Amino acid sequence: MTDIRTPNTLTTPPPPGAAGIAEADTLVRVDNLVKYFDIRGGLLGVSTIGAVKAVDGVSFSVKRGEALGLVGESGCGKTTLGKVILRLLPATSGRVEMDGQVLFDIPAKGEKPQRQSVYAGKEAMKKVRQNMQVVFQDPYASLNPRMSVGELVGEGPLVHGMTDKKEREALVRDMLSRVDLNQTHIHRYPHEFSGGQRQRIGIARALALHPDFIVCDEPVSALDVSIQSQVLNLLNDLQAEMGLTYLFIAHNLAVVEHISDRVGVMYLGKLVELADVDDIYARPSHPYTVALLSAVPEPDPHRRKKRIILKGDIPSPANPPSGCRFHTRCWLREQLGRPERCTTEEPQLRSLGHGQETACHFSEEISATAVENAVASSAPIPTAAV
Amino acid sequence: MTETRGSNEALLEVKDLRTHFATADGLVKAVDGVSLRIRPGKTLGVVGESGCGKSITALSIMRLIERPGRVVSGSISFDGQDLIALPEDEMRDVRGNQISMIFQEPMTSLNPVYTCGDQIAEAVSRHSNVSKRAAMDRAVDMLSQVGIPDPKRRATEHPHQLSGGMRQRVMIAMALSTNPELLIADEPTTALDVTIQAQILELMKALREKNGMAIMLITHDLGVVAEMSDDVSVMYAGKIVEASDAITVFDKAHHPYTRGLLASIPRMGVKRERLEVIEGVVPNPLNLPKGCLFKRRCPYAMPICDNPPPLREVTPGHVSRCWLAPDGGKPELGEAPSAAEAEAAAKTLTVANP
Repeated sequence: MTDIRTPNTLTTPPPPGAAGIAEADTLVRVDNLVKYFDIRGGLLGVSTIGAVKAVDGVSFSVKRGEALGLVGESGCGKTTLGKVILRLLPATSGRVEMDGQVLFDIPAKGEKPQRQSVYAGKEAMKKVRQNMQVVFQDPYASLNPRMSVGELVGEGPLVHGMTDKKEREALVRDMLSRVDLNQTHIHRYPHEFSGGQRQRIGIARALALHPDFIVCDEPVSALDVSIQSQVLNLLNDLQAEMGLTYLFIAHNLAVVEHISDRVGVMYLGKLVELADVDDIYARPSHPYTVALLSAVPEPDPHRRKKRIILKGDIPSPANPPSGCRFHTRCWLREQLGRPERCTTEEPQLRSLGHGQETACHFSEEISATAVENAVASSAPIPTAAV
Repeated sequence: MTETRGSNEALLEVKDLRTHFATADGLVKAVDGVSLRIRPGKTLGVVGESGCGKSITALSIMRLIERPGRVVSGSISFDGQDLIALPEDEMRDVRGNQISMIFQEPMTSLNPVYTCGDQIAEAVSRHSNVSKRAAMDRAVDMLSQVGIPDPKRRATEHPHQLSGGMRQRVMIAMALSTNPELLIADEPTTALDVTIQAQILELMKALREKNGMAIMLITHDLGVVAEMSDDVSVMYAGKIVEASDAITVFDKAHHPYTRGLLASIPRMGVKRERLEVIEGVVPNPLNLPKGCLFKRRCPYAMPICDNPPPLREVTPGHVSRCWLAPDGGKPELGEAPSAAEAEAAAKTLTVANP
């Protein structure tokens, strides 16, 4: 297993096992994906004066049938990553492969030897799109209010050539019953449903084309507590029933733990840790993951714990810190006496064995004692006064 | 849990508060007979899902209900004075001075055209007779107390120049600048990321200790409630359905709704194939069920539930609005008593003031 993934050229397919898993298992392969948003400025607002580095060199694979959770705080690039994978946003560079089909392969700037960008053609893309769908966060904003449930759920099949009205209606009814919605509501409009029901419509819409791969972007965070569990159970059931593969993007760590087989943690456009769900929650190997897990308040008044309080806010992705992007807030670096390596050398994702990968130079220094010390040194008021 | 409830004087005591909204579609009883008490220096967590009336309860206490809403009945006694009867100008002295409030989304509660320093100084000079200069000094001092780095410079900045966590700190600084006895925090961390939420919760704890203020913490996040609260009240469809000290509510919840909520949240480190669910949805406030408001979603629903259950004591200091016997078993009256019997029982069982 190599530490640094080299971007693959088109002529040489990615070496088997590049991400630690067998080729046949892989449904989606993401390689060195980069997405920058240009910041316009200048006199007429047309020149590029910088870039927001929303996703900055992310590589991972999603195995067929698994749920890969992606956590991180707002602005870490997790939603952008999901959209770029689906080609809902154009990538700046990198390569995404879905079920053997290359969706795009764009060389990084200055990459040698120089080569052409490759995109899947319109027809090929249309075919792939059947196979990959998305469920959005806000069930109020993501459904067209002028379309009935039947039209919403049937839209995908219609676009993909299911022109027979009867056939389509049968399909829609089947989908509605799969997501536990009343089939007789097929002619109703989104405003007639509650938030949880709307999210079910969104899920039915994603399922209508029988995709293999679904990107769930914060599918339950807009829902009330008692409705969340209904939708999470539904997503679990559907995965088992239809053999779905999820990329499950969320900020709620307990929700991600519940649904995922593996979990990736993002910080400022980078994947900082990737591991099996049990490993990452029991033995986090990146100081950011440790802090993130420590910050979650548990619904148990007996377990009021002291936590690691990170200093300050997430830095701007337009101007990320040098070296390790987390070094400005890192508690481990403080304990180690601020080693220079953190500010000069960008850590790459490296394997710790048993499928756990981390992007920290000093993962091995994380121990129960280190965490205790970090908790003890977290001042009640995080930043020094005046 | 050595203290028994009621042994201390309450700082705030709300009795049978009813706030109704006359909408075009009908009367919405957003808050319908809510009683609460907050002990001095203690934190009361008010939990419930959206639309349960928790925010309206807070706004009613602050007397910030706007038409078509109206506090129909009830009493709110704070430090010995009845807030409902208070003339508006005296209420203004209480508001922001003795009782402060912070809201969920700091961007909409801060004025975008004034600097953060000006806004805090305004609150200070409104409630104490100090010079402009002294008010601004106090504002800078407050900003440093809530952990804002370089407070002098930040005081001259406008809200849009700050991050979400910083804005919430500014809100807290403003709310605390007058040393209130009670802070009402309405979903103070819901819009924030978890590492920032941890910062804000720690800050609130530290300030609570330092100033000895009481907090009414309104949230839907059971984790935040468990972390912060001494006492907990659970609301559902405009009514308190369960109230006690925090440990009791989390360990020995009596009401099926509370139990359902606690069972339905995914917890870290607890592997479960399926989550428990509360079936159905929150009832439409324009079309509430007769009797128990939770009965349509309740796994224990029985014929007796067609009669409104009383809020009664299940153990000392622990109240629940449910017909089930205090030990969680079948109701003493049997499952299907006559309406008259149930009504009489409800009268005798009800505790007027939890």
